[in-house]
Amino acid sequence: MSTGPGRFEQVYGQHVVGIYRFVYARVGNRPDAEDLTAQVFVRAVEQLDTAREPGQIAAWLYRVAQNAIADYWRAFYRLPVVGVDHVAPGWEPADDGAQRAAPPDESATLRVQALLGSLPDRYRRVLELRFLQRMSVAETAQAMGITSGNAKVLQYRALRKAALIGETTDG
Amino acid sequence: MADERDPRAERFERYLDALLAGGRPSPEDVESGDEAEMARLAAEIAGAVRDDSAVPDPAFVEQLRLRMRAADAGLATVQVPPPVRERVAEPAGHRPWRLTRRQLLQGGIGAAAGLAAGLIGVTLAPKPPAGSPTLGGGDNLVIGDGFWEEVATLAELPPGAATRFSTAAFDGFVVNDDGEIRALSSVCTHMGCTLHYRPEWQDLRCPCHGASFDLAGQLANGRRTWRANPYPGDARAYPIQLPDLVRPHVKVEDGVILVWTAQA
Repeated sequence: MSTGPGRFEQVYGQHVVGIYRFVYARVGNRPDAEDLTAQVFVRAVEQLDTAREPGQIAAWLYRVAQNAIADYWRAFYRLPVVGVDHVAPGWEPADDGAQRAAPPDESATLRVQALLGSLPDRYRRVLELRFLQRMSVAETAQAMGITSGNAKVLQYRALRKAALIGETTDG
Repeated sequence: MADERDPRAERFERYLDALLAGGRPSPEDVESGDEAEMARLAAEIAGAVRDDSAVPDPAFVEQLRLRMRAADAGLATVQVPPPVRERVAEPAGHRPWRLTRRQLLQGGIGAAAGLAAGLIGVTLAPKPPAGSPTLGGGDNLVIGDGFWEEVATLAELPPGAATRFSTAAFDGFVVNDDGEIRALSSVCTHMGCTLHYRPEWQDLRCPCHGASFDLAGQLANGRRTWRANPYPGDARAYPIQLPDLVRPHVKVEDGVILVWTAQA
């Protein structure tokens, strides 16, 4: 063993926060983000050569994370192979391996802002109330002066519209 | 807009509700490729909002660190396996053991290696050994030095029962699965939480993220089998596949259940 004791733990300490944030930005909830983060490091402890360059280690970890996220979404599509090309661009880490210090995924935030900004008013409003202000359906309905049934239909249409826009801007 | 209700919108709200409550959304609430796109987008919007969940829970980071440390240390042992003996000569008689601190530490190393083996998905005990149909242990774990340790009596363990045991190398359960006696580690192969036994569902349940293991040590509520055969003990499929529980070797002698305790 040329890597020496504790080398893996060092890699873990450097990257665990960055990987978690990377995953969280793409699955949007803590339990799944924790699961996928754990999956990445379980794979790493089995397969990652910690003697590699820091930049290579970072690239390896984020590639594994990207694949884990694609697998996660595959279960939602229920299709054999969909999703890899849908992973948002800009995931490649800086080559210095200093993920820990990297800002949390500004590109994802900007992309979401741009997306919301491109929606018709009522669509943007329903998503803002639910996602940014974390209102329930009932509260959202009240704030918008509509029924709960309407609010669910509205958010459904808003997300469908946003998904279509997202597709065209994804390239 | 009139008061309209749309079954798709109602169902999709279940996905959103779980997501926005910070819980684990289910693919079951998403029914088409278009909806999957919508779900993915919703997750991205939720993930872009800065709240507490956007940074990892320190307890999670620490727990995973310990798990990785054990796996990392255990792998060195696994990579250079000791010679495997099919059957090990039992120590003469069953000596009562008082564990010294040193033995406990050695046991700890054995447990770490066992955990690591579980993590990397090595199936230690796929089938009970031929010729001893009442035993569910894996011969693979009877390696190197060790001894048989009494953990329960058969009389205490009627069919459908399970009881906790603790040896130097393992914390686990011995279970009576319709007449077949098995020993199973009580350490969840997801994040190392301690499983508890639910007699009504005949499973070992993880309190942390809801994994259920059947009495053969396999994930019972996994997605792979969910569609064809939903697990009745749970409302939703567990989203990721987990390795089987580690199964130390077990034997029954004169009505006494013994578990193999390996010494490093």
